[in-house]
Amino acid sequence: MLTIEGLKKGYEGNEILKGISIDVNKGDVISIIGPSGSGKTTLLRTITTLEAADGGHITFAGVDKDFEKLNGKDINTIRRNVGFVFQNYNLFNNKTALQNITEGLIVARKVKKSEAEKIALDALERVGLSDRKNHYPSQLSGGQQQRVGIARAIALNPEVIFFDEPTSALDPELVGEVLKVMQDLANSGTTMVVVTHQMSFARDVSNRVIFMADGHIVEQGDPKKIFENPSEERTKKFLTDILANV
Amino acid sequence: MDNIKLIINFLGQLLPAINITLIVSLSSIILGSLLGLLLAAAKMSESVVLRVLARVYVSVIRATPSIIMIFVVYYGMPMLFNNWFHTNIDGWNRMYFVIIALTVLFSAPASELFRSAHESISKGQMEAGLMVGMTPFQTFYRIILPQAFVVALPNFANSVVNLLKEGALTFTIGVVDMVAKAQMIVANNSGGYAWQTYCALALIYWVISLAVDKGVSLVEKSYQAKRKTIAV
Repeated sequence: MLTIEGLKKGYEGNEILKGISIDVNKGDVISIIGPSGSGKTTLLRTITTLEAADGGHITFAGVDKDFEKLNGKDINTIRRNVGFVFQNYNLFNNKTALQNITEGLIVARKVKKSEAEKIALDALERVGLSDRKNHYPSQLSGGQQQRVGIARAIALNPEVIFFDEPTSALDPELVGEVLKVMQDLANSGTTMVVVTHQMSFARDVSNRVIFMADGHIVEQGDPKKIFENPSEERTKKFLTDILANV
Repeated sequence: MDNIKLIINFLGQLLPAINITLIVSLSSIILGSLLGLLLAAAKMSESVVLRVLARVYVSVIRATPSIIMIFVVYYGMPMLFNNWFHTNIDGWNRMYFVIIALTVLFSAPASELFRSAHESISKGQMEAGLMVGMTPFQTFYRIILPQAFVVALPNFANSVVNLLKEGALTFTIGVVDMVAKAQMIVANNSGGYAWQTYCALALIYWVISLAVDKGVSLVEKSYQAKRKTIAV
């Protein structure tokens, strides 16, 4: 459904992504793990066109092109078929929880207001925040904001939702409620690509784990295999280090 | 007591000329804000040429005293029009020259405060807008602008009050605004009652700037109140 080949991206001579290829199939829940600075976030941002890639090819939602050749129309198509959940939530601060969700539906998708509100209420229901629909982001906890962020993404019914370290900015006691929502989504068949440091999520919820380091995909596969029997030394070391700290 | 009566009397004579002051100020604020918006956009544009031009423009304008700006426009523009467009604008209403001078003056601080307000809104707001499928312009208009507006408001009020005071120089090129009126009153009284006259004038300026401040704080409050009342 989504295929990326040889994706490259650098900043000021620094190569962050050195030719990444991934395949996402419908219903996949893919966790991307790896040390900080390995390019995980940059990978999500270049696939979703938030950042321009330097090289590589994308096949997605009818677009089949090299990244450098994407025109405005292609970029629009890609953006309209992805959802994005940000590390810092990035809810619209001047909109209520409900309006955060209806905004994209009404303005970008031209859905009727009443229809959009129905969809938004459904989405809020799914993340357990129906009673917070009229709250502004500043009146919500971090965990609640992130759940609204997730509701905003699912309401648009995208082909795939990207999560960029969705729990990293949260207080530890709020991580659980967000992970729970993500797990429900995964169980309902939503296609998800998740950059995460939550090893429990990677191991127990996803159907594939990608381990990245230094702008490369070092290893990918079944979570059971990656966590219990990684074939690469680099993966082994990362997992030993990170699991030692849990 | 007599003094108070005099001041009230002069207030009555000065107030009819407030029209000119308000027309000049309002036009300059509106036009200056629009120009300021363009300048702010130029300052944040990707083109180096635009950025440098905007920066030079702002630094020159900021360094120009308002009275000099008014004179430069008043004496310079007709010459410019004559030489370049072969048009005679000597007959223009003098008020236009003041409005042009004040517009130019106002655009510099306006551009600065628009730019800083825009930059105070996190980049993530734009990215979130793009990721729900909105265009950059839709996101700017619906998400960034309303937030930046609230940030810019107090500084904007400051600039407006400043402009109002600089507008008191309108009389220097012979437009009969409140200041010119005050001078006439003093002259008619052979130089008498000067301080009472100018006190009355100061009072009017004070009330206007008070009204601006009050208006701004009302808008700010209503913005905050809206957020509080909705979420109980």
